[in-house]
Amino acid sequence: MLELRHIHKYYNPGTISEMCLFQDFNLEIQKGEFVSVVGSNGSGKTSMLNLICGSIGLDEGQILIDGKDITRQKEYKRLKRIGRVYQNPAMGTCPEMTILENLSMADCKGGFFGLQRGTDKKRIPYYQELLSQLGLGLEDKLYAKVGTLSGGQRQAMSLLMSAMTPIDFLILDEHTAALDPKTADLIMELTEKIVREKELTTIMVTHNLRYAVEYGDRLLMMHQGKTVMDISGEKKKNLQVEDILDKFNTISIECGN
Amino acid sequence: MKKRVLAVILGAMMTTAGLTGCGGDTGSSESASEGQEMYTIGISQFAEHGSLDNCREGFIQGLEEEGLVEGENLVIKVNNADSDTATAAQIADTFVADKVDLICAIATPSAQAAYNSARNSEIPVVYTAVTNPEEAQLADDEGMPVGAVTGTSDQLPVQAQLEMIRELLPEAKTIGILYTTSEANSAYSISQYEKYAEEYGFTLETAGVTNTSEVSLAAASLLDKVDCLTNLTDNTVVSALPTVLDQANEKNIPVFGSEIEQVKLGCLAAEGLDYVNLGVETGKMAAQILKGEAQAEDMEYELLTDSSLYINQAVAENLGITIPDEMRENAEETFTEISQE
Amino acid sequence: MDFALSILEQGLIYGILALGIYITYKILDFPDLTVDGSFPLGSAVTAALLTKGVNPYLSLLISFLAGVLAGTCTGLIHVKGKVRDLLSGIIMMTALYTVNLVIAGSNNVPLFAQKTIFSNSFLEGITGGNIPDYTVILLVAVVSKLLLDFYLKTRSGYLLRAVGDNEVLVTSLAKDKGSVKILGLAISNGLVALAGSVFCQQQGVFDISSGTGSMVIGLASVIVGTSLYRVFTKLKPFRKKSYIKVTTFVFLGAVLYKACTGLAIRYFMPQSMKMISALFLLAVLLLMLVFDNMDKKKVKKNA
Repeated sequence: MLELRHIHKYYNPGTISEMCLFQDFNLEIQKGEFVSVVGSNGSGKTSMLNLICGSIGLDEGQILIDGKDITRQKEYKRLKRIGRVYQNPAMGTCPEMTILENLSMADCKGGFFGLQRGTDKKRIPYYQELLSQLGLGLEDKLYAKVGTLSGGQRQAMSLLMSAMTPIDFLILDEHTAALDPKTADLIMELTEKIVREKELTTIMVTHNLRYAVEYGDRLLMMHQGKTVMDISGEKKKNLQVEDILDKFNTISIECGN
Repeated sequence: MKKRVLAVILGAMMTTAGLTGCGGDTGSSESASEGQEMYTIGISQFAEHGSLDNCREGFIQGLEEEGLVEGENLVIKVNNADSDTATAAQIADTFVADKVDLICAIATPSAQAAYNSARNSEIPVVYTAVTNPEEAQLADDEGMPVGAVTGTSDQLPVQAQLEMIRELLPEAKTIGILYTTSEANSAYSISQYEKYAEEYGFTLETAGVTNTSEVSLAAASLLDKVDCLTNLTDNTVVSALPTVLDQANEKNIPVFGSEIEQVKLGCLAAEGLDYVNLGVETGKMAAQILKGEAQAEDMEYELLTDSSLYINQAVAENLGITIPDEMRENAEETFTEISQE
Repeated sequence: MDFALSILEQGLIYGILALGIYITYKILDFPDLTVDGSFPLGSAVTAALLTKGVNPYLSLLISFLAGVLAGTCTGLIHVKGKVRDLLSGIIMMTALYTVNLVIAGSNNVPLFAQKTIFSNSFLEGITGGNIPDYTVILLVAVVSKLLLDFYLKTRSGYLLRAVGDNEVLVTSLAKDKGSVKILGLAISNGLVALAGSVFCQQQGVFDISSGTGSMVIGLASVIVGTSLYRVFTKLKPFRKKSYIKVTTFVFLGAVLYKACTGLAIRYFMPQSMKMISALFLLAVLLLMLVFDNMDKKKVKKNA
């Protein structure tokens, strides 16, 4: 279970451009939950993910995982049990390294990176099997540099790599936003498959209301650092895009979009 | 397509190499005319610098005096390492590969590089402007060569210099010296000054720099503590000599030089070596070796025993210092103006 | 000694240095100026050890470790002190000048009389006589290259390549990207110091100024080498072969660069040397531009 307790976060404190993002923000996410998060620009969606992962610090409050306080834990240590996929497909892979090398690294996440062989040859069939599940033909391109792949292919790899080792949380930061609609659909299907298969607790930030409604067990709408809508259970299952569209438009207009 | 490009590149590279290969070697021993023996000498100079240039010119002059004339029976290849030790090594290697008859190395790093490259060949090395051949391991403790390597030392006449300063400035207590921490010659000269300063009633203050840009600051800090400055043959400090002189003049502190060029530029006086003479002596040694009259292995390195006094009258007047008549008579050369070059 | 062999010797020594710079410049994307200090550091340590009669082969290892230490310091200044990359290198390079003077005890230490990796009783014992310098240098160079090649294929090596490629991924892999950078700088400067050790043993003298400009030579070698490697990998017969690695080309780059200096010394006015080196580098870069343009056109045609 993930808990955010009484979070306060200011940007540029003490300067003329000081901005309060979160003031006493609270959130609880249960184990195994798949939460979609939507909201206006600057509502704090991505900041929330950054706080959870430790990419940015907070000014007050606590972050707990299964009751354990991780507020002061360094980002890289937290990420041992967290998988994260970014909006930019280039962030999740190493472009100058081959597909095989990228997968080998992801396969060792959390382990010791010593002088063992970088790629365990015995694992190659397993990697190929994983790749073939993507249905993108990558299993035949093990020795191609990831930089030569398309954005969609790279994002599929990022997703695969982020969940290769056992993790507690999957953090998806608008991970379909940079892709064309068809590829985005494909990545979403893949996401659903991985999340359900591995029973991952997932937080997905998205701009796409249809994805937010269609996927996940719970929907959060955020605005100016607050949760303005929190729908779960049966209500979420029967939710239609139209049900949240009005609210979404109101907060978006407020932001000037 | 790509293959062709590479072929063109490689081809072009080889052609250039080939062309230069044919045209480069201007004169080799075989082209000797009229049965007279033709010698090839490689001169490896460490840096472009007044006294080292004088050395080189003197060297060529010394050879000439012994009947070895460039263009007639002598081919001279000159190379300058631009103060870079790796380049000095490559220059030496090139001379050895070209099988020159003798290498003349000017200044310590070039001398060491030349000796190192020529060690396993038959080529003798003659050096000059090496302050301390023993410490540079070019000579053993008795001053005898460690191999086919000999030459001349430009060890400063420290005692003569101190005596001269004492005579001109009877009241002075402290002498300041600026030097570069990376120059082997300077470190040795400093130790010589430390050894003799007390004998003449002086205490010594030194300031070390690593490059020309630091000279100004070091001079300022030193000038607060001393009654006069004296220079070594330190390449870096000498290059920045005008800066030092400007600052010293403002405080009316005399600066002594270590050779003629520095006095020309505005040092009060110097008991210095004549680097042209040093070069001439070196050239004569080289001629002996080339003609087979002597073996480098058996030749002790030489020191210029006599120093010469240089005085700049204009500077003396500016500072309000009267130069004793006796001293003026002994001067090798007296300048009446400060060179602006 | 043959002219070409002398170029080869110098090229191979500076090739070891270039391997180090390859790690920082190409893999880590870190312009590391420590090099101008860690190269003479290797020489200084070697000079100090050899004059005390330490085994010359051991001095290679100790010099490498001294370089590792210097690189670690640069890394710590950059990562923990949050000092910019260029500046942390400058700080270390400057500090090392003094360190080197202290270690060597003097600005110029001749080693003519000492046992070196090129002449010692052990070597004479197994070869029965003088073996040429270049075989020894070649051996050190090949061993360094193979070890680096091996390292880059290990998990730790993967991580090193990843940190220069995409830092975010390293964090995602739950590894501290700062530590990985420090490790890279350490290995890099270790190699540079190793080159410095070989250099001063071959020169027979340590000189404090020997490091000046070594960064530039190494960088030029890396750029020439990696450029040629790019051309090479596009050539049809070699496209699928991976046994000739970029590290080999880094050595080739160093040898070519030294050949340039050698040709300048031999055939041109001595003052023109730097210009010739500069023109050589520029020529390689411009040829790469032409090559890349043609390559793009070809890709378009095929598409």
